This record gives sequence, structure tokens and C-alpha cells, in this order.
Amino acid sequence: MSKSTILSGEDLSKRYGDLEVVKGVSLAVTAGEFICLVGKSGCGKTTLLSLLSGLEKPTRGKVNLDGREITASSEDELALFRRENVGFIFQSFNLIPTLSAWENVALPLFPLKMTGQERQRRAIELLERMELGHRVEHLPSALSGGEKQRVAIARALINHPKIIFADEPTGNLDSSTGEAIMGILNKLHREEGVAILMVTHEDELAKTAQRLIRMKDGEIMS
Amino acid sequence: MNLRYMMKELYYQKRRTLMSILGLSIGIALLIILNSLSSAYRQAAHVPLKEIGADITVQRSGDVPKDLVGAVFPCSAVTIRKDEVEKIEKLPGVRGIGTGVLLWVFDPNRAWIVLGVEKDNSIGPSLLRSSVTEGRFLEGDKPEAVVEQAYARQFGIKLNDNISVASHKFPVVGFIEASRAAKIAVANLYLPLKEAEDLAASSTNLQTVSPYAPGDVNLLFIKADQEKITGLASQMKGILGNKATVATPDSFLKLLGSLFALSDKFTLAASLIAIIVAVLIAFKTMAGNIAERAREIGVLKAVGWTNRNVVSQLLSESVVQCFLAGILGLLIAFVASFGLSFMKVNIPIPWEMSPNPHFLPGGGDQIFKTLRLPVHIPWTLATFAVLLSVVIGGMTGGLLGRHISKIKPSEVLRHE
Repeated sequence: MSKSTILSGEDLSKRYGDLEVVKGVSLAVTAGEFICLVGKSGCGKTTLLSLLSGLEKPTRGKVNLDGREITASSEDELALFRRENVGFIFQSFNLIPTLSAWENVALPLFPLKMTGQERQRRAIELLERMELGHRVEHLPSALSGGEKQRVAIARALINHPKIIFADEPTGNLDSSTGEAIMGILNKLHREEGVAILMVTHEDELAKTAQRLIRMKDGEIMS
Repeated sequence: MNLRYMMKELYYQKRRTLMSILGLSIGIALLIILNSLSSAYRQAAHVPLKEIGADITVQRSGDVPKDLVGAVFPCSAVTIRKDEVEKIEKLPGVRGIGTGVLLWVFDPNRAWIVLGVEKDNSIGPSLLRSSVTEGRFLEGDKPEAVVEQAYARQFGIKLNDNISVASHKFPVVGFIEASRAAKIAVANLYLPLKEAEDLAASSTNLQTVSPYAPGDVNLLFIKADQEKITGLASQMKGILGNKATVATPDSFLKLLGSLFALSDKFTLAASLIAIIVAVLIAFKTMAGNIAERAREIGVLKAVGWTNRNVVSQLLSESVVQCFLAGILGLLIAFVASFGLSFMKVNIPIPWEMSPNPHFLPGGGDQIFKTLRLPVHIPWTLATFAVLLSVVIGGMTGGLLGRHISKIKPSEVLRHE
């Protein structure tokens, strides 16, 4: 793995019973790169994302993240690794309904030893960057879809990740809100140099990425 | 464990929280109430004996003379010899002993129930001195008598009158109100023990069926170590023979016949059932709650929470809920015990302990000691119940948390 490569998957396969969802995929992401993984529903792109992010273990192959092979790591080792290196953005936001916007952003910091004020300061700072400074105390139920996704993006950034995995981040949003979210992701990539690996089935959105990877039937086509 | 997250989870998920707390609190309240009731019946069973300052009373049944003339022993209380008293006094666990001589005296124009008491002994009927309504209780060694107030009124006996009992003269020095007195070891006439002994010893009619010598008695009142009462009762029966009647708090408890008074085993079994019910309720409610949060747990793990972080968070929520359930259960139990304390309990006094001649009108009627059920929650039980709820919270939270923390985030997050 070259110095600039922060994530690589080699010969990754994932099998559920008789069904092989990902078939011998190899992929490398360099630091600060914005990659879109596109393909039809069920082609294996979300599974590949899970394998690369350490949420799931491959049936075959290995994953290197920031110079460390994570395939053989335990659940807890993976969790700690994700906490320090990775951010997630999901299609359905996955915010905790009982926590306010800033608390959701600070969620990855809860297990860390730091003062409540420090957590709150960092979370509010990020929310202000997402232009949600006026919504810090609101519960997710009081936020619009776009606002929820901006909270989720702030949560993904709270631990200064090297890479963000985004699984259909605009899938639950209308087109204009979706474009706004893509604008934020592009800005993050440009200004902060965070690598982004995004899964989408919308070709239009994918065109904004630096690199486009097409998947079909569990394999990379181009 | 994050306190803010825990508090918000409990506050905003009110339905979940209330269900868990209510479910467990009912089990805890049940546990406390059952034990308090059982303890209340136990305390109630002590009352008839406590009123005469004793833990055990002892009598021996025998025969009455064919002709009921002069002083005789009731058939339920015949002679207990001095040497038998001394043997009982030496039994390990006996802390003190009081004696009495109970007589029925049939004079030509009147029948007396006479009780000779050790006036200075705090164990036994001398405690009745607090029930004196007029005059004074027995003092000194001279012959004198205290009369039961209703009896005195019925027969026109006045203070300082000289009454004749089996040809013995006694000045009346005071009156006692029987309704305020105990239900056992009560009489119409109270005499110094020595005077009653003299009446018994001089009665040829009595001596024919139950030989008696001064120093012998026919009632024993015993203070004993609480944990040795049952053992002492059987030892006393061994000394006095199978005609002995040994009354203990346990024997009164059995007479109550209530479910709660049946045995320690019943209370233990009922408490165990209450605990099991409480645990099951807590487990079922919390299992449902945690299952609903599988996706949330998946998010926590995805953003970097370890299994331990997840377990400690769920454990803390569970412990706090169960602690609150314990407090609520305690409050429910307090309210219930307050209500139950208005309940009256009738403790039947066995006929052989009733001093009244059963062949006289009304003499065979069942006598009851009626009192309010002394229900209260001891602090040890309250503490135990709250600690138990916390332990249940720890167990359920720990077990369920460990189970749910094993889920793979990709499994719960992939399907939208």
C-alpha cells in the first residue's frame, strides 16, 4: 500500500449461504479522495462499504485501513478503530431520537474521557459549520430531513476521521436538499481533505465525485 | 456510561420507563407487604402473652372435685410442684419466671375466680397494677384484696369493705378494670400469692384431687430467649407430662389460622414467588425495550462504542429504573400497610387459658383478644427490597446488555 493510500480492499468476497454478494473485489482509496460507488439496488455496493469500513467481515480477502489490517480484529478493536478513523453517514440518518442535535453529534465522544463542556463545544462548533447553530438543542423529531442529515454529517466529523463512508446519504431527501448535502460533502472533501467513499444509485450525484466505480452483480465493472 | 444519555433515554421513553418501573414495583410491593403482614400476625400473636409480661405460660390440666364447694383448682390448672418449677427455672434459655395460683372459690352465696399473684414480680399478672381504677394494687405481705371493677359493681363491693372468701377475710384495697386488662390470667379477685397458697392448702376438697403444698403453684409465666421458645416448650412438656398446656406465641399464631400465620415456610415461598414474578416482569419488559433499540445499539457500535460501553450504558439504565421501581414499590407497600393496619385481628384464647368456669353461664364462650393488626415495614425489609431491585436491575441489564451488544451493526443498519 502506497503512502497516500488510506484504505484498500484486496480480493474481497462476502458470501451469505449460497449467495455471493461481493465477488473478489479489490479497491484502494487514497487520502482526500472522493469516490462514488454506483450500481443498481442489490449489486453489493452497501455490503462492500460495510466490508471496507469494518462493520462486516469478509468471507475472503483483507482490508487495510490507515496502514493496519483490520480483517482479523475483534469486534471491540474494530469499534475503537472506527471511533478514531472513520465517520458514517446513513441513508436514514440513524440519529438517536432521545438526544438533542448536539448530543447526537457528540455521540462518538460519549465513551471518551473528556468533560461534558468539551464535548458540547466541539459538537456545537460542527453544527454551526453545518448552519445548524440555532437547532443545537432540538430533538431529531423537530428537524427536517436535510437538517437531520447535516446533524449526521457533523456526527461523522466529530472524531476528525480520515475517511467518511456515506451510504445513500441523499436517498431519503428531495432533490434540492440532496444537492445541498452533496455540496456539503464536496466542500468537506475540498477544504478538509477528508476521503469520502459514497454509495449511491443516482448517476447524476455520482458525477460530482473524483472517481466513479460501477458495480454489477458483486463485481467492479469500471 | 453517559449520565446525560441515560437520563434522556429514561425521560423521553416514558412509556418504556414507566412500564418497567411499574411492573417491577408491583413485585417489590408484594414482597414487602407479604413479609410485613406475616410479621404483623407474628407480633399480634405475641400480644396476649406480652400483656402479662411473659413469652410462655404453663399450666397442667387435671380433675375437679365432684362437689364444687370451697376453693378448688380449675380443671385446666392443677398443681405444678415446687421441684418442677425449679427444674423449669434451670432450663437454658429461661430468663425469668413468675408464678400464680388460680382458684375457683364456691362460697354459699357467691363464686369467685381468685388469682394469687407475686406482687413485685414484673413477669406475670402483677403487670395488671397499671389497670387499677380506684384505690391501689397489692402491697406488703398482709392479707388484702383487689377486686375486678365490674364484679364489685355487680355485688355491691366497696373500697375498704371486708370480704370473705372461703372463710378468709380480706380488706378491699383497690379495683381493677378487666376490659383494660389482659385476657389471660384474669380473675374477679386478686390476692397476694401467699394468701392464695393458704386458701389452696387449707382446702380439703382441692387436696383430694390435686395434692397441694405451699410453694406449689398452678400457673407459670416465663420470660425466655426468643430463639429458644419452641425448644423450651417441648422441654417443659417433658418435665410436666403430657397434660401440660404450654402456650407460646407460635401456639397463638396457629390459632389465628390465617394464611400468613401458617408458617415461615409459607412466607418464604410467597416471598420467593413475589421475587420471581418481579424478576420475570423486569426481564420481560426490559427485554422488549432493549429489542426495540437494536438499531440504536447498531448506531452506537458503528460510531465506535465497544461492547463494554454498550453494556455499561444499558446496565446503568436498568439499575436506575429498578432502583426507582424499588422506591415506588416501597411507597406502594407503605400505603398498603397503612390501610392494612386498620384491620382488626381476633386472637382466640384457648379455653384452658380462660379462667372462667366453663360450666357457668357464659363461661364456655370463646374469648378473643381483639387488636389492630400491627403492620409496619421494618427498615431492614425496606432496605433489602430496594437493594434487591437494584440487584435485579443489575442482573437484567447485564444479561440483556451482553446479549444485545453482540449484534452486528451491519445487520441492523443495512435494511432501511
